[in-house]
Amino acid sequence: MSTLVLDRLRKRYDRTTAVERVDLTAKQGELVALLGPSGCGKTTTLRMVAGFIAPTDGRVLIGDRDVTQVPVHLRNTGMVFQAYALFQHMTVAQNVAFGLEMRRVERAEREKRVAEALRLVRLDHLADRMPRQLSGGQQQRVALARALVVNPAVFLLDEPLSNLDAKLRAEVRMEIRALQQRLGLTTLIVTHDQEEALTMADRLVVMERGRVRQIGTPEELYENPADVFVASFVGNCNLVAGTLERPGSFRTQSGTLLPCTSEAPAANDGLVLALRPERVTVTPGEGAPGDIRAQVTAVTYLGAQTEYHLDLNGTTLRASRSTPLHDDPLRRIAPGEKLTLSWDAASARLLPAETETGDET
Amino acid sequence: MAALVLPAALLVFTLLVAPMALLARISLNHYSPTELMVEAFTAENYIRAVADPYYQQVLATTLGVAFLCTVLTVLLGFPAAYWLARMESNRKSIATILTLLPLLVGNVVRSAGWMALLGNEGGINAALRALHLTSGPLQLLYTPGAVIVGITAVVLPYMVLTLAAVIESIPRQAEEAAANLGATASTVFRRVVLPLSLPGVAAGSVLVFILCMNAYATPLLLGGPQFKMMAPAVYDQFVRGNNWPFGAALAFILLVATLVLTVIGSMALSRRYRG
Amino acid sequence: MTISRRTLLSGSAALLTAAATGAPKNAVAQAGGQVVIGTWGGDYGELLRQLIDQQFTAQSKIEVLQDIGNNSPRKSKLLAERQNRRGSMDVSCLSDSDTYQMMQQNVLDKLATDRIPRLGTVIEALRKDYAVPHIYSAMVILYNPSKVTTPPTSYADLWDAKWRGRVGLSDILYNYNTAVAALAGGGSMSDFGPANKRLMDWRSLDVKIYPSNEALATGLKSEEVWLAPMWLARGYMWKKAGIPLNHVVPKEGAVPVVYEAAVPRNARNKDNAWRYLNAMLEPQAQIGFAERMGYVPTVRDAQLPAELAREISLTEAQQATLKTPDHAYLLQHTASILDFWNKDFKG
Ligand SMILES: Nc1ncnc2c1ncn2[C@@H]1O[C@H](COP(=O)(O)OP(=O)(O)OP(=O)(O)O)[C@@H](O)[C@H]1O
Ligand SMILES: [Mg+2]
Repeated sequence: MSTLVLDRLRKRYDRTTAVERVDLTAKQGELVALLGPSGCGKTTTLRMVAGFIAPTDGRVLIGDRDVTQVPVHLRNTGMVFQAYALFQHMTVAQNVAFGLEMRRVERAEREKRVAEALRLVRLDHLADRMPRQLSGGQQQRVALARALVVNPAVFLLDEPLSNLDAKLRAEVRMEIRALQQRLGLTTLIVTHDQEEALTMADRLVVMERGRVRQIGTPEELYENPADVFVASFVGNCNLVAGTLERPGSFRTQSGTLLPCTSEAPAANDGLVLALRPERVTVTPGEGAPGDIRAQVTAVTYLGAQTEYHLDLNGTTLRASRSTPLHDDPLRRIAPGEKLTLSWDAASARLLPAETETGDET
Repeated sequence: MAALVLPAALLVFTLLVAPMALLARISLNHYSPTELMVEAFTAENYIRAVADPYYQQVLATTLGVAFLCTVLTVLLGFPAAYWLARMESNRKSIATILTLLPLLVGNVVRSAGWMALLGNEGGINAALRALHLTSGPLQLLYTPGAVIVGITAVVLPYMVLTLAAVIESIPRQAEEAAANLGATASTVFRRVVLPLSLPGVAAGSVLVFILCMNAYATPLLLGGPQFKMMAPAVYDQFVRGNNWPFGAALAFILLVATLVLTVIGSMALSRRYRG
Repeated sequence: MTISRRTLLSGSAALLTAAATGAPKNAVAQAGGQVVIGTWGGDYGELLRQLIDQQFTAQSKIEVLQDIGNNSPRKSKLLAERQNRRGSMDVSCLSDSDTYQMMQQNVLDKLATDRIPRLGTVIEALRKDYAVPHIYSAMVILYNPSKVTTPPTSYADLWDAKWRGRVGLSDILYNYNTAVAALAGGGSMSDFGPANKRLMDWRSLDVKIYPSNEALATGLKSEEVWLAPMWLARGYMWKKAGIPLNHVVPKEGAVPVVYEAAVPRNARNKDNAWRYLNAMLEPQAQIGFAERMGYVPTVRDAQLPAELAREISLTEAQQATLKTPDHAYLLQHTASILDFWNKDFKG
């Protein structure tokens, strides 16, 4: 258990650059999630930490030790693979004992720690099963136990939940988080599921095309995205292009004026107004002159939430709120009808427009 | 349903069972120099084959060569198969074809190549002489060693391809997981790759052992006249000796010996795998 | 189990034959216009085509088909078809001992001497009533003149301790090599008794055994061995290929091999078959085989060029002393000869 530092980490292949530059410091006991679209370099980064890939440039430090040149088997990282990678010819207990054997832990001690680790993942009753006799979730927990039992300096997980169904995923997610916190493990987890990242991580690293876009707590990323890419990748966000009419007022490309924060970044190529749909309050009726009015183009009922697609003289916005009660007039709003909108001007953030659009394949 | 499998069953019967049954029947006949084969139900051919120290020796030689070649192919084939299995997919197909390429050359032609290489005036002796390492020719051709080398070269592709197929099915991540848990490369091999490949080793060994037991052209051409394995001995009886009953009995003994050892061998290996 | 011997034998032979040769190319030979020759492929079959078939077809309008295979599948086929009313071969080419064996098994028809006018020109010693001799050669002693300065004169000289390790044998000629040993040991073509001791003597003199005639040629060429009992025809071809060789015909008489052609009893096109046998004895064809393969004509009126005659022919005196194999004896003892060769001599 140590800190993990990635220092200007870079990986080039013949034609592609998988990781352009990653700087990151994960504190002792911190869970950091690498988040980003497919192909952005998350796995490559993680595998450079484990030692499976040699970086082209940069360093990896575990604790105070520079391990960039240290071979995999001496790095003392605990890795959980997407497909579990259990040893199919060994029992559950043998799988978990493997790392201890490699560390020449005495038999009695080893058995004690294996039993402990299996208890931790609630699999003590399946110790003598073969991996193929387990469900996906059980296999995943064996993989966790196997990686944890050796007390790794850094715990690494590459999309550990992607092979599980939705319900199990939520369950194991909580389990991993609880274990990690209990054991105080410095952890790096890869995911492209933002919900997963937001619920589990102490901090998130949003990556795009091999670069770090933003690092921060879930709240920082959500409330204060550094750029359009982060705003769109983390959570839902209205992104409207336009210009600053005057401090606190934004003119969209179709000419509509919208209230916004007074903090504007210096930008040459225009601005983007970023407004979370749930920050928009909708009221039935035309409202008073000077209010923001919109025509409803679609209403999407999502159970607990309802989403309204709105047109403001050519500018489209989405608003969402908890589904109104039966006697609420909003409940009967239909496409074509008019609504009045309002939001706290500070919630409408201004971001520099992206010259180059994110590659979200 | 029955109608569907009938053609296949018929084919298997005519191609496999019927000739076998006929061979079994012939092996019980009596041989006479003038009448060649006289119908009988006698075990005399089997008794003679089993009791004769010469044929005991031939069988022992055959078993020894087959066993040695099988072990050699496993040892030589494993690294090649591993390398092949872990290759990038576009290069893998080319390498697979290259592995198969030697099989396009018949055993006789291939043996001719070995003869050119191993002969007293052959490539190796010429090179040794040119380097002044030897004065007289080294007897390489017509030795058991030549046969073992020759047969191993013939059966190696079968072993490599069988092993490669099994190694390919071992996820690379299992190896990575082991390394991540502190295993050195050799430990990863010993504790993960090898045990998971054992079914392939068993399948490859069975295949190769059967091929070796039945080797004909290679022992004949590279072993020289004094070296006898079972298949040439069977041929001898059928063609040179005109003694079909005895030849058939020898063929059956070869078949049974191969079958028994194959079953025992694969059972031992699979037990190892489970444990 | 009530398989009669007949069906069993023919059935099994047919199966083995099919396995060895594939289906015959001409399962249904048309009567009248064809003749099917069971022959070896390679040089022999090719020379038949060039030297006999072309002219034969031109003159007689009979189409010649070759059923190509080695002697042993051909024998199996003849045996297998023995009970059939009609066989697939009209002419069977085999060595003298194989032909004798087929005759013994009642496979072959007696020659229709009136249909083969050229029989009259055949060398007396080679005449048989069940087969026509096509070509022949004799087992002479080949030696390397630069190594062997005083040439041997008899088979027995191959046991001279001077030539320890320098005598080479071809494994496939085991029965002829045994015959040579028998003659050298005072036996005869009807008594191979003395051969065994002689073979064991050879063994202690480090005689070299090669797996095939070609391998023996390589041994002679590399001067690994200097002497070998071998067909003169082969020696002639090897000499032409640049191997340093001379030959002597042993004074006690050489063992001949005759390649014969015979007609199965159940041939479909017997008339054509007799005509074909006659064509095989034509002088031009005979000379052609001598020039191309080194085998000696079996007819008296085939005049070889003097140069060639010196290389491959036997003198009248040598012809008179030929030690013709006793095929009945050989057939009776072939299993024990092979056994001794394999187990005691080589083993
Ligand atoms: N061995 C390699 N050779 C060349 N390019 C590679 C190699 N491995 C990865 N890449 C490239 O590097 C980039 C990053 O790959 P990486 O596997 O790290 O993505 P990822 O973020 O894990 O994506 P995903 O979410 O799909 O798993 C991709 O564009 C990929 O094509
Ligand atoms: Mg990935």
